[in-house]
Amino acid sequence: MPPAPPPPGQNAKRVPHYLWVGLLLLGLLWALHSVSMPAGLENAVTLREAQASLPQHPQQPPQQVSLPHILDDQPAAWSGWVDYRLDWPAALHYDDPAQTRLALLLPRVGTRFRVLLNGHEIYQVGWYAAPERNILSAWFPYLVSLPPQLLQAQPQQNQIHIQVQGQLLERSGLWPLQIGYHGSLFERHQVLEVWQVKGTWMMLISSLLMGLLSLHLWRTLNERLFLLMAVAALAHSVRLALSVSLEPPLSFGWYFYLHRLAFTWYVGFFLLFVAELLAFRDRLVHGLAWFLIGVGPFWLAWTLHTQDYDLYRIWAGAMAVCGALSLLRLLLFKARQRDALDGDQILVLVVATFTLATGVRDFLVVQLNFPGDADLRWTSLGSLALLFTLSWVLAQRATASTREVHRLNQSLAGILAKREAELRQAFDQLRASEQQRAIEGERRRLMRDMHDGLGSQLVQTLNMVRSQKHTLDAGSVESMIHHALEELRLMLDSLEPMEGDLATILGTFRQRIEPALLAAGIELDWQVQDVPALPSLDAQGVMHLFRCMQEIFANVVKHAQARRVCVRTRSDAAHVYLTVTDDGVGMQRPHTKPQAQRGLGNLRARAGKLGARVRFFDAHPGTGIEFAFPIHRTFTPEAGDTVPSVE
Amino acid sequence: MAHNRGMPSSTRIYLIEDDRTVLHFVQHALALRPDWRLVGHSATYSHARIMAPNSLADVYLVDLGLPDGRGEDMLRLLSLTKPEAELLVFTVFGDESRLVHALQSGATGYVLKGCNDAELIEAIEQICAGGAPISPLLARLLLKQLRNNAPAQVADNDTAAPALSERETEVLKLVAQGYVNKEIASRLGIGTATVSTHIKNLYRKLAVHTRVQVVRAAQDRGLL
Repeated sequence: MPPAPPPPGQNAKRVPHYLWVGLLLLGLLWALHSVSMPAGLENAVTLREAQASLPQHPQQPPQQVSLPHILDDQPAAWSGWVDYRLDWPAALHYDDPAQTRLALLLPRVGTRFRVLLNGHEIYQVGWYAAPERNILSAWFPYLVSLPPQLLQAQPQQNQIHIQVQGQLLERSGLWPLQIGYHGSLFERHQVLEVWQVKGTWMMLISSLLMGLLSLHLWRTLNERLFLLMAVAALAHSVRLALSVSLEPPLSFGWYFYLHRLAFTWYVGFFLLFVAELLAFRDRLVHGLAWFLIGVGPFWLAWTLHTQDYDLYRIWAGAMAVCGALSLLRLLLFKARQRDALDGDQILVLVVATFTLATGVRDFLVVQLNFPGDADLRWTSLGSLALLFTLSWVLAQRATASTREVHRLNQSLAGILAKREAELRQAFDQLRASEQQRAIEGERRRLMRDMHDGLGSQLVQTLNMVRSQKHTLDAGSVESMIHHALEELRLMLDSLEPMEGDLATILGTFRQRIEPALLAAGIELDWQVQDVPALPSLDAQGVMHLFRCMQEIFANVVKHAQARRVCVRTRSDAAHVYLTVTDDGVGMQRPHTKPQAQRGLGNLRARAGKLGARVRFFDAHPGTGIEFAFPIHRTFTPEAGDTVPSVE
Repeated sequence: MAHNRGMPSSTRIYLIEDDRTVLHFVQHALALRPDWRLVGHSATYSHARIMAPNSLADVYLVDLGLPDGRGEDMLRLLSLTKPEAELLVFTVFGDESRLVHALQSGATGYVLKGCNDAELIEAIEQICAGGAPISPLLARLLLKQLRNNAPAQVADNDTAAPALSERETEVLKLVAQGYVNKEIASRLGIGTATVSTHIKNLYRKLAVHTRVQVVRAAQDRGLL
């Protein structure tokens, strides 16, 4: 899985994290250097020499040795029991032994030892344990109090002996130690405890946690990177667990093998991890890593077999060289590529360089006796920093997919919202244009109605007034204007919210037409009842219906010679029926006047626009017209131009 | 229609109308009834606001489209100050949607402008005799507005219109179907005058909310 690119602009104005972490680590190196300067303690004296003798080989004369005195560097006879006699430092004196609280601080001694003051044993670690037991006292610092009652009145008369039982390959022996006032040495002992013991425990816990976490991530994400880290971290955990055990439950052989192999694999898998993290598929780096992983077990077995510490020293050097070479090659290769590394990768390189520096420093000081406080191992801190960094980077990596999904989701949501807005806008536009179209349509209809109805009525009136200026009949003018007003009222009636209620529409029409019928001596028989609402009777539909009814009633008044007109409504499941019958002369088709024919044609056309079927029938006597309106509208107004058949 | 049944022998009419031709028309129509008198006329809202409430008129003819105010506000004012007077809306069209609003403001009927002298006199006689004009569409709107108001009335006495009686509902339904008063009377087996009374009651029911509000406001101001 490629690392997710950071969102654009996110890091643009920030100081890159590797920069301030790098500065922090430089500060830490300086602080470590300051702390690890070989400096004398106040009220204490560092003893760097001792007179060593071999109690099991009395023929060997005692010899003055400088500390650290490492038994692996000595002939075979020294790997047994060594007695170090320490000279009382001239600088350390006291007046009253009973009031004096003195102590020895042994930063590193072992693998088994005991301390004797003036012939009395005052401290021991593993001294009397069975030989097959694996005691490793050298991992821990010891503060040994000198009992006041055993001190001589004259300080120079005190005899201090530290007896050590060594273990080959374990760098046993005696390191420089301090003698002085208990208070000062106690503080120094606390510092060493933190560095050597608590620091190791912290690393162990962190490393174990990281190993398990990486293992879990590998199982979840199935990414090789996490497996490499898991193996490296767990191997490191094994090494650290063995480094904080005074008495591991393993024989020394197994302990040595496991401890060193764990470290070897840690280095090997760590190199593979770094190469994988930086997407650096280089044969040399992979070769070196697999060389350490593959050859390590054999080399260590051989070392164990020969009991030659130099072999391990070579192996430790090989590991350092492999690590340094890999990192160097990686850096050189990536340096040639512009933007080859992202921020996290640079961060890992920076911290790894720091860790390597701490390792090299420890190698120089501890193995090759370079100047420095060998009791303070920098590697602990270096490894801890690397572990934390890697944890952070891996967490970043593991959450990258989640963040990517989140980002994609956001982007998708954004696109959706945009599309939705566009759709809504398009819909609004469509609705607005639809509304505009409806308004336009309604305006055209009103104009047409006003033109055909009110307009023509007014023109007729005007023409009459003009043509009959001198013989103007006020009654005719009044009638025509009244007619025009009625026309206008009819049009306005059609705009009232009638909601397709046929009965109310007919009732409204009746209001307008009845005075004219009464004047013509025609009786109206009203048989209207409630029927289902008709969707086709919107404002335009109402006007069509009004016009149809006007046409019918005009025919009745002008041509039918009727005395009575009946208006009736009824309905069935599918249709609403409107019937108008009169008792007039009935239809005489062959003799029907052209004007009436035109009127019937208009009637059919308007009924068609209402989606209604129209039927003319003989009412015996008189004529009947029936409109059948579908209750559920399946008709489009455009199709209304089709003229229904006339029966 | 005969003018009797408790009508005052001399009906006093007040016209609120800015169109002078309408004033002339009313004056001309009143010539048919010498015992009726036009006791006042206001051409503006501001004039009517001061003069009309102090008039002794029995019938007010109110134009809804006054040049400086709303006819509905005038109706409210008159329903407060002249609760016993008949308030007839004078309108060119039977614009029912607006008429409902006018009725809610306290009008008790309407007269269409453009009617002839006899029709005007008949409309005034009808309203004074306890009747009221109503169109099918108006009936439909009233039905919609007043139907099933009882639950709402319980919930909120101040805002809900009163519920219709069964007979009133029947009358309204028939009016909405286009039947005239005579046909309704025949169908329901009641007198024509009773039909008119029902319709008048409907108007009063529609305006009752306004009247209650007006009376309350008047009491608050110490006018009543």
